[in-house]
Amino acid sequence: MATTLEQVKSEDAYQINGKTFHSRLLVGTGKYASNELMAQCLEASGTQIVTVALRRVKLENKGEKTLLDYIDPKKYTLLPNTAGCYSSEEAIRVAHLARATGISDFVKLEVLYDEKTLLPDPLATLEATKILVKEGFTVMTYTSDDPVMAQKLEQAGAHAVMPAGSPIGSGQGVLNPNNILIILEKLKCPVLIDAGVGSASDVAVAMELGVVAVLLNTAIAHAKDPLKMAHAMRHACEAGRLSHLAGRIPKKLYAQASTPNKDF
Amino acid sequence: MKLLVNGENKEFSEGIFLEELIRQLGVRKETVVAEVNRHIVQNDQRPGWRLSDGDQVELIQFVGGG
Repeated sequence: MATTLEQVKSEDAYQINGKTFHSRLLVGTGKYASNELMAQCLEASGTQIVTVALRRVKLENKGEKTLLDYIDPKKYTLLPNTAGCYSSEEAIRVAHLARATGISDFVKLEVLYDEKTLLPDPLATLEATKILVKEGFTVMTYTSDDPVMAQKLEQAGAHAVMPAGSPIGSGQGVLNPNNILIILEKLKCPVLIDAGVGSASDVAVAMELGVVAVLLNTAIAHAKDPLKMAHAMRHACEAGRLSHLAGRIPKKLYAQASTPNKDF
Repeated sequence: MKLLVNGENKEFSEGIFLEELIRQLGVRKETVVAEVNRHIVQNDQRPGWRLSDGDQVELIQFVGGG
């Protein structure tokens, strides 16, 4: 039996479509004040999977450094997202572009319906999941916290299902832990919390529920001190995971004395 | 000839190859993916991919995202 913290952590791996990971924090690369700061935050977070987006090259910025000058694809698994896509066709196009880079066949599939809520379009998401799985992508699908939808996505072949804890970038944490627990009970594939995390305690709560990992971006990038927050997120993620593995005590209505009240 | 590159009208020499276009634009070829008329051109096909007048070229790269 593992006794030291390092042993516990090294034995606690998980897989996504056959690829093994130890860090349970997935970190986005958007919204940082600079790419240098982003790289430092990724390092501090201990992450192994980083999300990236695809956009047009700005032709006026000739020869300028690009994101890949700051992220070593040998060190991190790149998880290209389909953020900003509002149809399955658009999302599939972006996934194809991402794969054509030759760097990653992972895709964070996100097909949105509404600009204000950034909630996913469930039907288009399901359709795109089916197609991209057939095409050999490793598909990690962003969804709402609806347990039925989560099951449909797993049946469609998603390699990971990623319910939002709360709306993207909202920092509200996990608003409906009961739905997450139901999803965890129903699904066999990895379930990750994607979106809505605001603070380290939100990550710990999500991990204690038993999700495989948490994906976040804004909570680090827009913290007052992003680097400190990256450290905090790493610790919270590990603490939440260990707490889940350790098994919490049941909640009780009445007090239970911690000190024996006899024999003195 | 005229090409529409990332939404901008630009003038290039007749029959330019995609790889050469990327070089002339000063775009770092190792980090870019190209589409011509919504068709993805694999990186190894770019040196032999001759462009025609009016082609729409999209040059895409990884940027920060969540």
